[in-house]
Amino acid sequence: MSVDSSVQGIFAAFEAAAENPLASSRAWKAANGTPVVGSFPMHFPGELAHAAGCLPVILQENHEPITVGHGMIYPFYCGYTRSVVDQACKGDFDFLDAIMFGDHCVQVLGAADVVRAKLPNTRVHFYQLISSMSDPWSHSRARETFAGLKEGLEEMIGRTIDNDAIRASIRLFNRNRQLLRKLYDMRRSGTSPLTARQMQLAVKSSMVMDKAAHSALLERLIERLEATAATRQRGVRVYLSGHFCQAPKLGILDLIESCGGIVVDDDLYHGQRYISTDVDDAGDPLDALAKWYLERNLKVPCPTRVDQNADWETYLLGAMAKSKADGMIVLMAKFCEPHMYYYPEIKEAFEAKDVPHLLIETEHETTALEGIRTRVEAFLEMVKRQTIAKAAAAARLETGVV
Amino acid sequence: MKPYVMGIDFGSTTSKTVILDMDGGTVASAVSHKGSVSDEGAKASIAEALAIAGITQKQVIRAISTGYGRRMLEVSDKSYTEITCHARGAIAMVPEARMVIDIGGQDSKVIAIDALGLVSQFAMNDRCAAGTGKFLEALARAVGVPLEDMGPMALRAVEDITISSMCATFAETEVVALLAEGKSKTEVLGAVHAAIAARLVGLVSRVGKREPLVMTGGVAQNPAAVHHLEKALGLKLIIPQRPQIAGALGAALIALDEAREHAADAADEDDKVDASLDAARCGTPTCTAPQARVTEQVIHGPRPH
Repeated sequence: MSVDSSVQGIFAAFEAAAENPLASSRAWKAANGTPVVGSFPMHFPGELAHAAGCLPVILQENHEPITVGHGMIYPFYCGYTRSVVDQACKGDFDFLDAIMFGDHCVQVLGAADVVRAKLPNTRVHFYQLISSMSDPWSHSRARETFAGLKEGLEEMIGRTIDNDAIRASIRLFNRNRQLLRKLYDMRRSGTSPLTARQMQLAVKSSMVMDKAAHSALLERLIERLEATAATRQRGVRVYLSGHFCQAPKLGILDLIESCGGIVVDDDLYHGQRYISTDVDDAGDPLDALAKWYLERNLKVPCPTRVDQNADWETYLLGAMAKSKADGMIVLMAKFCEPHMYYYPEIKEAFEAKDVPHLLIETEHETTALEGIRTRVEAFLEMVKRQTIAKAAAAARLETGVV
Repeated sequence: MKPYVMGIDFGSTTSKTVILDMDGGTVASAVSHKGSVSDEGAKASIAEALAIAGITQKQVIRAISTGYGRRMLEVSDKSYTEITCHARGAIAMVPEARMVIDIGGQDSKVIAIDALGLVSQFAMNDRCAAGTGKFLEALARAVGVPLEDMGPMALRAVEDITISSMCATFAETEVVALLAEGKSKTEVLGAVHAAIAARLVGLVSRVGKREPLVMTGGVAQNPAAVHHLEKALGLKLIIPQRPQIAGALGAALIALDEAREHAADAADEDDKVDASLDAARCGTPTCTAPQARVTEQVIHGPRPH
């Protein structure tokens, strides 16, 4: 694929892959003869599929209205699961050589069942990863599951996957993680004020593109961004949180920034969670992947996993302080049970610490953004006016003038 | 020529304008009913307020707009949301207020106010017209009673009937069914007001109930809505005089703050994102930001359809 190597050209390539992931992976398969393995986001170790000579592609919610899939899944399931089912019913996944589903939540479980029933000729491998992360047996159970995935892939390609090949794939994936982390760091520190849209396109494309090709683009992008002087940003520094399995709609990210918010950091969907931790590239690769799976959750907690040593609200408060954010906007995909379960604790913690935050529920069908605009604007006004008033009160205290 | 400031609340069903002198005294206020987000309505309320004050638009040194159509007004120097403006207006009307309920035409809001008189939290209805003025309007039509008569009539209801649907359309079906069962219009209207109060209780609980609680917006003039809200919340609401103009008053007071503190330039500056700089860092090829004029807010990405 030849890509215009300007910043704009690179983002155009990211956008093409991120917004049309099935078309781009189908084209990759046609050009390279690579089998394509679809998966749910977050916990699937793409390294194994890559080492098997496949292109791992994380299935995405698309922008199409849900039609034929509507009768196959409850309307009170999240937009991601409903969209995945709809795509399966419409035949969009027919070109996939295999789909590897995990049981992240009850809705994902339901969606996997429908996809399996709808695609009888596609190899569907279902795996259950231990979700209790701090038990003495957590590591061995996670390793067992990954070993099962490896076996499934080996069965598909008709040969064993070499440990050296897995280690090579781990190094390739780690490189991609490091480059994305660098991009997050650049945005957080303001050395390159990337928009929320740009960050999302970079991350989302990494979920569906060949890792080597994606990393090559990221390297060029970072080089070019580093050569460009950063401009001063005005506005309320916002931390975005939530929206686990699917990327939020770009329109919502644009809206937040057009209202005067600057998104300085986020823990949205796959993003920081997936890239926060590198996989050990020496030793037994399955051990390394199991260790990565467990350790990653301590860095950026996932509400579908249970770990006595992880606390999401404490993580969020720390992440906000680290990115010097003035407020947090929580984007919650409607009917996302794990998020709904944790949100009251987050709300309580943020209120106790007097940290401004706003909850916005999103839907697959969200089209009218005006109501959301009013809430985001009001939130940013609130943060701005509070900051000014507190600074004035502090100045009065300092000068003794009341 | 004496200077003044203006606040315009360009709502979804009515437009309100307040003019203040530089000491913060209200010199004029006007309310105009001209239908949905009507530019004509906004202009009418501005013209009426100017006429009452006996001044010209040129004497208005700063105008702030709020409400559903806040960004559509050319006379406005800057816009703020209804949340910020209603809170500011309510605090001016009732300084001890710690919570504001505003039921507008298109949305209802519950706003918590801190010790500094600033918004500390808020909640808005996020599901269509549930618990808004539009809900009342639709159900008044279903019952066949003029909007202004429904409140006093509903107060006479004695039965305890429940309308459970949140959606105005489904609630309308329930209303029709109740009428078909032979329930009187008075009783059905009582149930309609109890339903709107129930929606608001949900919003209040999201923010956390605080007192004193002030109610602003046009629906605060409806005695049945106030009665059912007080009953549902278990407290006495404070209804300021002319609750409908709270948002416009808040906008005018913000205009006054900014004019007095010479903060207008800084506030305007916040809104002006330098299009050329901003566009340069956007990598989205279909982004329309490069075509934006320098003073326009830049929205990245393809223009929404």
